Amino acid sequence: MNKRTVFRTILAGIFVLAAFAVTPANAAPGDEYARPAKPAKQYTIGVLLPMLSNPHFVAQLYGYIDEADKLGAKVIWFDAGGYQYLDKQLSQMEDLIASKVDAIILVAVNGPGTVGAVAQAVAAGIPVINCNVMTDSDKVVTRIRSDDSIIGQMQADFMGQALKGNGKVAMLRGAPGTSWAENRGNAFKKTLAEKFPHITVVGEQYSQSTPADGLKLMEDFLQTFPQLDGVYNGADTVAIGAAQAVLASGKKGKIVITTADYQLDTEKFIREGVINATVVQQPGIIGRWGMRAAINALEKREVPKVLWTPLLQVTSANADQIDMSTIRAPAGWKPPIR
Amino acid sequence: MTDPSVKDAVGQSAPVPRSSPLVDRLRRLPWGRIGMPAVLIAMALFFGTINPNFWSVTNMGNVARQISILALISIGQTFAILSAGIDLSVGSLLALVSVVCAQAMLDFGLVGGIVIGVLAGCLAGLFNGLLIAKARVPAFIATLGMLVAARGLALTLSGGLPIAGLPHEFMIIGAGYWGLVPIPAVIAAVSFVVAFFVLSRTRFGRYIYAMGSNEEAAILSGINVVKYKILVYVVSGLFAGIAGVVLTSRVISGQPTLGEVQELYSIAAVVIGGGKITGGVGGIGRTLMGVLVLGMLSNGLNLIQISSYVQNIVVGAIIVIAVYIDLARERRR
Repeated sequence: MNKRTVFRTILAGIFVLAAFAVTPANAAPGDEYARPAKPAKQYTIGVLLPMLSNPHFVAQLYGYIDEADKLGAKVIWFDAGGYQYLDKQLSQMEDLIASKVDAIILVAVNGPGTVGAVAQAVAAGIPVINCNVMTDSDKVVTRIRSDDSIIGQMQADFMGQALKGNGKVAMLRGAPGTSWAENRGNAFKKTLAEKFPHITVVGEQYSQSTPADGLKLMEDFLQTFPQLDGVYNGADTVAIGAAQAVLASGKKGKIVITTADYQLDTEKFIREGVINATVVQQPGIIGRWGMRAAINALEKREVPKVLWTPLLQVTSANADQIDMSTIRAPAGWKPPIR
Repeated sequence: MTDPSVKDAVGQSAPVPRSSPLVDRLRRLPWGRIGMPAVLIAMALFFGTINPNFWSVTNMGNVARQISILALISIGQTFAILSAGIDLSVGSLLALVSVVCAQAMLDFGLVGGIVIGVLAGCLAGLFNGLLIAKARVPAFIATLGMLVAARGLALTLSGGLPIAGLPHEFMIIGAGYWGLVPIPAVIAAVSFVVAFFVLSRTRFGRYIYAMGSNEEAAILSGINVVKYKILVYVVSGLFAGIAGVVLTSRVISGQPTLGEVQELYSIAAVVIGGGKITGGVGGIGRTLMGVLVLGMLSNGLNLIQISSYVQNIVVGAIIVIAVYIDLARERRR
């Protein structure tokens, strides 16, 4: 070996040792898509949310805002107020474009309806990062979400085992026109058909994603189907209402309830055994990755086209072991109201 | 000037304190005419100072586009309220028209979809009109029933899901420009001109004011109140139909959840502009002012980053304040 090669080898060795020293022993949740270096410029990032009345989005907003803090960015955020207010979200997007934000993070209230607005943003030179609920537009920089088909599949697996392969289930699918309601529900039905063919879906309904809607639909299902064994819920906002209906009818423990997400009331029902299982997204991680992707896109670094955020399954058995830091905003944190 | 109710030691009336000539001048300005435009200019200056992007061509275009839908349904609402009625169904009609238009477009093509969509609005308006004029159901109740039923019909026809796959050319109506002006704004502007002409220069318009001021007197003067009332609601349905098609183009899909709460904003626009909810007073120009106030408010508050929750509080307050000022001026006359 000549002197040059020796020098290079020693240099490489030093780098390897340095890498070991710098990597933290316990990686923080969400490190799979790491935080980039704080950029020199202060970027302004617009964030559009569907409904802040769902604590899932409050936790996600905390992720966006806290991550923006750490990356020296400013956040302008808007809440559409519900999945039915498509026109409002479009107006909010147009106003962000007119305010000349650097990037927009979009949690779409509607798949097809947001295509035009995204095209408008991209035409104005504003990259769009699509998080959580998908837009049908193919002009987004990246799609960051949990795998909705796995959420549906996990609920089906749990339901199938809990009912021992036999029974009647109803479906409260959630908000019509959203990617999560579609994909989760379809995956649930597909898995049931493949693995548990003796379980029949006797009824399915869409509704707005609120407890009041879930309550009403469940009450009607209980009247229509006196022999109901299980209920699938697309989101826990609906499941909370469904659980209340089940409690009121005195059928606690006789109907298996599965859902997704993990707000405070859901946790209460899980611990009490009213809701049997929930597949938990980590909205804090969705938020942080969304902001990281936005900064990376603005700093002209390559961003992966798709990022899947991790999921957990929670039942009363493991409720105590769950790390809440990525699932809920810190206690007492309220979205900053201007 | 002296105040005759106050006498001094020798029985002479005491002088009333004179207000400054400036206040006098201000008081004598024709606030009825310049009040609203003055408010609009003040708002624009306020928002524009905090965020200069307010004045940009892009933003002005956005405002114009965003208020076009409200503008169109407010025209129909003006007709209804002027005739001493009301149309609570316009919001739900947006959804019904959207679903019908989208489905028809998939089945019969671009033009077929647009025509059938607008016709659906007119048909719903006809239904309202027959209920109110012939069956004598109070307008509030009839259109309330239509509000609920139309939304249900929209959800039923679409299965609750959006209808996508509309031809790309359709987007031009909602997203396109005519020069610098967004096409929805052009449609709204043309509609305003036509409606202004109808209300102020035609017999139909005159009869609407007559019915709204005093229906008994109108009937006794030989006006065919039944026929014209039906026409009023068909007109309202027509503009809801046009608005529904434009909105469907903007979101390039049929959406059964559109228009929620919009009927209330259309009523607010008429009232903020100075129209009386009891009928007989108001007009297209006034409604236009109300629409501009609401639209500029929403856009401006977004641009200075006031949350939509606070925006709702502001709009509610403005509705009440606007009507109060109007009534106060009237009492002083």
